[in-house]
Amino acid sequence: MIVERDVLVVGGGPAGLTAALRLAQAGLTVTVLDEQAELGGQYYRRPAPEVAALWGDHRPEGRRLVERVRAAGVECRTGHLVWGVADDGRTLLAADPAGRPVRLRGRHLLLATGAYERAIPFPGWQLPGVTTPGFAQHLAAADHTPIGDRVVLAGSGPFLLPVACTLLALGVRVAGIAEAGTPYRAGLRALGAVRHPARLRELAGYGARLARARVPIWQGTVVLRADGGDRVSAVTLAATARPAVPVRTVEVDALCVGYGFRPQTDLVRLLGCAVRADAATGDAVPVTDPAGRTSREDVHVAGEAAGIGGVHLATARGRAAADDILARLTGRPAPRPARRIRRLARFAALTEALYPSPADLLATLLPALPEHTMACRCEAVTAGEVRAVAAGPAAGDLNATKAWTRAGMGPCQGRACGFAVAGLVREAAPAPAAATPVFPARTPVRPVEIATLLDLAAEDAGTDGPA
Amino acid sequence: MSATADVIVVGAGVLGAAAAYRIARAGHRVRVFDRSAPGREGSGTTAGNLHVQAVHTRRPGQAVPLDSARFLPLQRAASDLWAGLEEELETSVELRRGGGFTVAETPGQCRELHDKHRWEADAGIKTEVLDGDAARAALPLLGPTVAAASWCELDGYANPLKVTPAYLAAAIRYGAEVTPFAPVRGITRDAGIWRVTAGAHTVEAPVVIDVAGPWLGEVAALAGIRLRMTPVAIQMHATVRVPPVMSHLVQHIGEGLSVKQVTAGNVLIGGGWPARTLDLAGRSATSTASLLGNVALAVRILPFLTRLRLLRAWAGPLAATPDEMPLIGEVPGAPGFLVAGGTYAFTFGPLWGETLRRLAEGAPPPVDISDLGPERLLT
Ligand SMILES: Cc1cc2nc3c(=O)[nH]c(=O)nc-3n(C[C@H](O)[C@H](O)[C@H](O)COP(=O)(O)OP(=O)(O)OC[C@H]3O[C@@H](n4cnc5c(N)ncnc54)[C@H](O)[C@@H]3O)c2cc1C
Repeated sequence: MIVERDVLVVGGGPAGLTAALRLAQAGLTVTVLDEQAELGGQYYRRPAPEVAALWGDHRPEGRRLVERVRAAGVECRTGHLVWGVADDGRTLLAADPAGRPVRLRGRHLLLATGAYERAIPFPGWQLPGVTTPGFAQHLAAADHTPIGDRVVLAGSGPFLLPVACTLLALGVRVAGIAEAGTPYRAGLRALGAVRHPARLRELAGYGARLARARVPIWQGTVVLRADGGDRVSAVTLAATARPAVPVRTVEVDALCVGYGFRPQTDLVRLLGCAVRADAATGDAVPVTDPAGRTSREDVHVAGEAAGIGGVHLATARGRAAADDILARLTGRPAPRPARRIRRLARFAALTEALYPSPADLLATLLPALPEHTMACRCEAVTAGEVRAVAAGPAAGDLNATKAWTRAGMGPCQGRACGFAVAGLVREAAPAPAAATPVFPARTPVRPVEIATLLDLAAEDAGTDGPA
Repeated sequence: MSATADVIVVGAGVLGAAAAYRIARAGHRVRVFDRSAPGREGSGTTAGNLHVQAVHTRRPGQAVPLDSARFLPLQRAASDLWAGLEEELETSVELRRGGGFTVAETPGQCRELHDKHRWEADAGIKTEVLDGDAARAALPLLGPTVAAASWCELDGYANPLKVTPAYLAAAIRYGAEVTPFAPVRGITRDAGIWRVTAGAHTVEAPVVIDVAGPWLGEVAALAGIRLRMTPVAIQMHATVRVPPVMSHLVQHIGEGLSVKQVTAGNVLIGGGWPARTLDLAGRSATSTASLLGNVALAVRILPFLTRLRLLRAWAGPLAATPDEMPLIGEVPGAPGFLVAGGTYAFTFGPLWGETLRRLAEGAPPPVDISDLGPERLLT
């Protein structure tokens, strides 16, 4: 089956939905694809229906946006994993919830595939009960299920605060928040000072709630290791500046560690759009203009996939991309998007500047990482193995290190370990090598059922020929 | 002033690594250069099959069939060397000789199995031709379209991500010097001595070995030698890891197919299907049409695959000769300039490594290579 539309939007979060709504309202045929069962993305994560009936909806504005998108006639294909691109360089290949293949062609593509969480390994991060803040949030929002009874949140970035609040609301005992930086030096409340942008006021609000619940925020603190038998039972923390020296041990039954987000750019790269390596984060970021136009005429990127900046920026980028796409497809002049986006991007940068840069964190934390630490959990490759190969035969080359150690070759394809493995390789390199910031994007974007491929091959052999 | 060596090896793929090891072990001073990290190109992306029974498949899009019968004595010699390799290199390369089946589906293909069986017998390679039911009894995973299969107990696999590094490590133990990220940019000859410039290095030696794989022609051209070699990119596919299900290599006599389960548990599906692009500056891009074609063929022969999930696809380059036969020998008119390459160079790695040592020493090769030299490719 080939679905043909004016615009295909991949990703049903704030950016994708906002854009889809605008495009459909202007009369274009639009399909939104999302691998999740419900639209909303990370921020507007929809609760499962039973959960919504019992507990209500934590972000009703998300539900309203989804309703408007549907009412505007956008075709919503949830549970659709877009796993690749056909050889014509533009037909998207997806699997529907039943595993049937779907091919989609748009006159224009908008990729709003969001972000995934940035991880930095530590001894014990492979223990059950160790997850990311995003996963805890997901479980809470979608299933109203707490990640544990007694939880420590750790890592860096503003996201730790709302997740802690979500857990508190579920009755979880949040034993503390370890923030690697010192963003709240002046006190969390000070962030709310009148002249600070809304984003920071929001943070101050979370801070107030955490203070009422007496949740300690340990600033300048990182995870040294997690311990436990068949599940995490304790986490030992250290000062960021001396990450190998234990400072305190806290008993927990769940530990959520995340260092912010990385743009999810696999499809952007499979489509051949130019990406650049961000110096501060080491991430591959699509090269776009303010409206999200990539190096390819017919492909836009919006939302966190275009760069991390939170829901407001993602929404604004979605709107700007839609306007630009409309201009291209209908000839209608696009309003200049630049101002609002520039302002929001400035605010995002301001917030970001409060926290240590991921590159600096890596530089501080990796040298302290013991040799036996699992660097790649999928393939059980230790930091020591990565270092030895990178320093020796792989000569500082990330992909050679991957090939020779198998780090990054497992089911997550380096999404979880890629950032840290790249850091370990850089650190161990005998000489500064040609920088490869991330593992290359590979087909399939996520593992895909061979049965699905078979059906697609059978279709290809049929009337409409190979795409 | 420039450094000197006895032998300069251009390219640290499996051939460069094997040659460097054999030559260094014999007491010569060896210098190896690679344009990037070693073992990343053909030798890092290869399927890693050890083909001992006759290879009779054409890559999809391959214009000329190779001369299977001519291959066999070479395969046999290579097979013997593989047998002792782990002991020789003092490390595991995940070598597995689980044996292999080559399947046929049509009457014509069945006849080819019998032809091939005769050549194998002539070359002293033991194979057996089974009808479909006997083949399914031996390997119950085979599907209903399999009409016959030949069995060879010597077919196998070695993990390519271990082989080249193991050879290089052994070469270094014997004193070879390996310089990665040093592309060779100049080769000149003066008074019987070759002078090679690679990055910031200049080295002189009486013997240069061009084993630059897809760049073999390009490197030869630096020395003014024009060879007809065509780089092509083909692709591979891997499923997620599963518990052990099969220990054999399965190939197809008429279509591009090779399937085996590797030590880590992934099932690797290949067969020489063309990549979407050949990109010698970066990574070649995989083709979805090839992915679908190769996987569909694999499922037809091994239906259980339909229950697995595909984890990833990748593409790698190799240098094909116009006649699909290996290339090995000294370039006429360029004494001391040796070349080796062509398809199936992974299987032939140990053999060409030893052959290059003998040629570098001016000794006769261990197998007859008189018709495999560069003469036939000079323009
Ligand atoms: C997908 C795939 C599957 C395959 N499957 C099999 C199989 O199952 N069995 C089998 O026997 N064969 C197989 N082959 C073929 C075989 O793997 C290759 O022919 C073999 O690995 C080539 O080894 P090589 O050392 O000649 O070249 P390569 O491994 O390509 O190495 C050449 C090296 O030369 C270096 N180089 C290039 N130019 C320069 C320069 N100017 N200066 C310095 N260095 C340079 C490169 O960086 C590279 O490292 C396969 C190949 C591919 C791509």
